[in-house]
Amino acid sequence: MIQLAERIARDTMERLSRLTTDHLPALLAALFILLVAWGLAAVMRGLLIRIFRGARIDRFLKRSGLASLLPGDGPVRATHMAARGAYWAILAGGFLLALSAFDTQLTSRMIESVLFMVPKLFAGAVILVAGVWVSRYLGRSALVWAFNEGLPSSRRIGQAVRVVVIFVTVVVAADYLNFARNVFLASFVLIVGGAMLAGGLALGLAGRKTIERYLEGKEPEKEEQPEQAVWKHL
Amino acid sequence: MHAETKVPEPDFLPREAFDAVERVRQVDVVIGIPSYNNARTIGHVTRAAQAGLEKYFPQLKAVIINSDGGSSDGTRDAVLASRLDTSQLLIFNTPLFPVHRLSFPYHGIPGKGSAFRLIFQMASMLGARGCVVIDSDLRSITPEWIDLLLRPVLHAGFDFTAPFYHRHKYDGTITNSIVYPLTRALYGLRVRQPIGGDFGLSSRMVNRYLSRRDWQGNAARYGIDVWMTTIAIAEGYRVCQSFLGAKLHDPKDPGADLSEMLHQVVGSVFTLMQEYESVWKHTTSSKDADLFGFRFGVGLDPVEVNTGRMLGLFQRASHELKEVWALALKPRTLDELGKISAALESSSRNGFHLDDELWVRVVMDFAVAWRDRPAERGHLLRSLTSLYLARVASFVLETRDLVSDQVEDKIEHLCLCFEKLKPYLISGWDCAAAPVQSAGRELENAADGARAEAVLED
Repeated sequence: MIQLAERIARDTMERLSRLTTDHLPALLAALFILLVAWGLAAVMRGLLIRIFRGARIDRFLKRSGLASLLPGDGPVRATHMAARGAYWAILAGGFLLALSAFDTQLTSRMIESVLFMVPKLFAGAVILVAGVWVSRYLGRSALVWAFNEGLPSSRRIGQAVRVVVIFVTVVVAADYLNFARNVFLASFVLIVGGAMLAGGLALGLAGRKTIERYLEGKEPEKEEQPEQAVWKHL
Repeated sequence: MHAETKVPEPDFLPREAFDAVERVRQVDVVIGIPSYNNARTIGHVTRAAQAGLEKYFPQLKAVIINSDGGSSDGTRDAVLASRLDTSQLLIFNTPLFPVHRLSFPYHGIPGKGSAFRLIFQMASMLGARGCVVIDSDLRSITPEWIDLLLRPVLHAGFDFTAPFYHRHKYDGTITNSIVYPLTRALYGLRVRQPIGGDFGLSSRMVNRYLSRRDWQGNAARYGIDVWMTTIAIAEGYRVCQSFLGAKLHDPKDPGADLSEMLHQVVGSVFTLMQEYESVWKHTTSSKDADLFGFRFGVGLDPVEVNTGRMLGLFQRASHELKEVWALALKPRTLDELGKISAALESSSRNGFHLDDELWVRVVMDFAVAWRDRPAERGHLLRSLTSLYLARVASFVLETRDLVSDQVEDKIEHLCLCFEKLKPYLISGWDCAAAPVQSAGRELENAADGARAEAVLED
C-alpha cells in the first residue's frame, strides 16, 4: 500500500516536472513577450500623443466632422482615442505573439484566423465609420433643408435619412465581411422597394390635381408666396 | 501706400465686351449696373446715371455698362433704348463726350458678384480712373448719387465710397443686426451701409479686386458687397461714405431663398475673418468714416413685417434644429435660447425679447464654428436663418413705437455690445485655432477667457 502511494507520488512529481519543463519556458517566454509588448504599447501611446498633437490631427478630425463620431468631449480627445487604440492594438499583437510561443496546433490556428480576419475587420470598421459620418452629414443636410423648406417634421426626415444611410452601410459592410449577406440584402431590397412604393403613392396622390390640370391643358394654380412678407424688409 | 496690383488676363469676358473695348478704347469713368430681370426700373437707373455724368462730369469720357445675368424680360433692351432728355436738367456745360451705353451678359456663376467682375474688368481695360456701381432696382436714385459716389474718388483721393442712406427702420435688417455691427467691431471703421450695393471705386481699388482669386465663392453672389467693403477697410484703402438720401427699391426676388442669401452674405463676412485675422484681432475700437453730402430727412415706404410667422419659425427651430445649433453655440447660449423659446410658448408673443448680448454671442459662436467646422458650414449658416428671424422679430417688437433716431440709438447699442464682447470672440477663436499650446499660451488663453467671462458678467 505504501509502495503504491510512493509510486503515485513519484509519478505525479515526474509528470509535474515534465509539464513544467515542457511548458514553463513557453509560459515564461509568453510572459516576457507580453511584458515587452506592454512596455512598447505604453511608449507608443506617449509618442503618438506627441506626434498627433504636433500634426494637429485633432484639428483635422474636428474640422472634418469625424471628431463628432467619437465618444466623450474635450479638446484633445481624438488624439487620446488614437493613442489608446494603438496601445490596445500593440497589446493584442503581443498577446498573439505570446500565444505563438506555446507552438501548439490550437494556438497556431487561432493566430492564423485572427491574422486573416484583421485586415477584413479593419476595412469593415472603416466602412462603418465612414457610413456613420456620411449618415450624420446627410441627416443634418436633410434636416436643415426640410426645415427651411417649411416641411413638417423635419427632424424625422433627418432621422430617416440617417437610418437609411446607416442601413446601407451595414449592408455594404456585411457584404464585404461575408456575414449574413443574403439576410441583409433581402431586407435591403424589401425596405427600398417599400419606400419607393410609398413615395410613388404619396407623390401620385399629392400631385393628382396638378396632373389633371396638366392633362386638361390648364396652367397649374400658382400659390401666393408666403415668404415674401417675411423677408421683404431685407 | 498700396502698390499697383497686377490684374490677370480676363477669361470670363464675352467676345462682344472685347469688341466694345476695342471700339471705345479709353474712358475716365465707368458706371456699372448689374441686373437680372429689372426691365421695370433699369431704364430710370440708366437715365439717372447718364444725367449725373452729363451734369456733374461733363468734361469726362464715360461709359455705362450693364452686366446682365440672362434676363428674359428685356432688361438689356431697356438699357440700350433708354433716352435722356437733357433739356429739363438745366445743364449749363455741354458734355464734351457722349455717354456710351453698353450691355453684356456675364459668364460664370450666376450672381451679382460675377456681374461686378465683368464691370471691373472692363473698367480696368478701358483705363477708367473711377468706377461707380449701382443697383438696377432703385427707384430713389437721382443724378446727384453719381456725383456723391464719384467725386470723393476723383477729387479727394478716396478709394472706396460707401453709400449712406435713410432707410425704413425695418429695412436692411441683415445690415443692422449682423453685417454693420460685426464689420465695425472687427475692423474698427463705422461704415453704416457695408452691403448697400451702390459704391464708388478708384482704379486702384478695382484692380485690387480683380487681382483676387476668390471670385468663385460667396463673392460671386450676394456676398460681393460685404466682400468689397471688407477688403477696402481691412487692407487700409481710403474709405468714406456719401449721404444719398432715401433708398427705395423694388422688393427682392420673391423666388430667392432667404436662407441662401443670409448664407452668402454672412459666409462672406466669416470667410474674410479668417483672411484678415491679424487685422481684426488687433483692432480694439472703432471710429467714424468720413461722411460727405448734405443730410436731410426723407419720407420712406412703409415696410410690413410678419413677426408672428418669424417667431413661429424660431419656436419650431428651437425644437428641430437644436442638434445643428449645438455644433456652433456654447451650452450657455443654447440654454438661454431654449429658455426664451419656452417662454414664448407660455407668454404673449408681443413680449418676446432676444437681447443684444445673447444675439452677439450667437453671431460670434457661429463665426468660430464656421472657421472650426468647414464640413458643416452649409448646415450651420442655413440653421442661422431662424435665429436671425427671431432677432429681427425682437427688434421689430421693441422698436414699434420708436422714431428713426431712437431706432438708430438701439442699433448703436448693439454695435457697442459687439465691440464690448470682442474678447469673447477672440477667446473662442484662439481656443479653436490652437490645439497645441505651451503651458504659457494656455495660461494666456485662460486669462483671455477670464476677461471674456468678465465682460459677459458686466
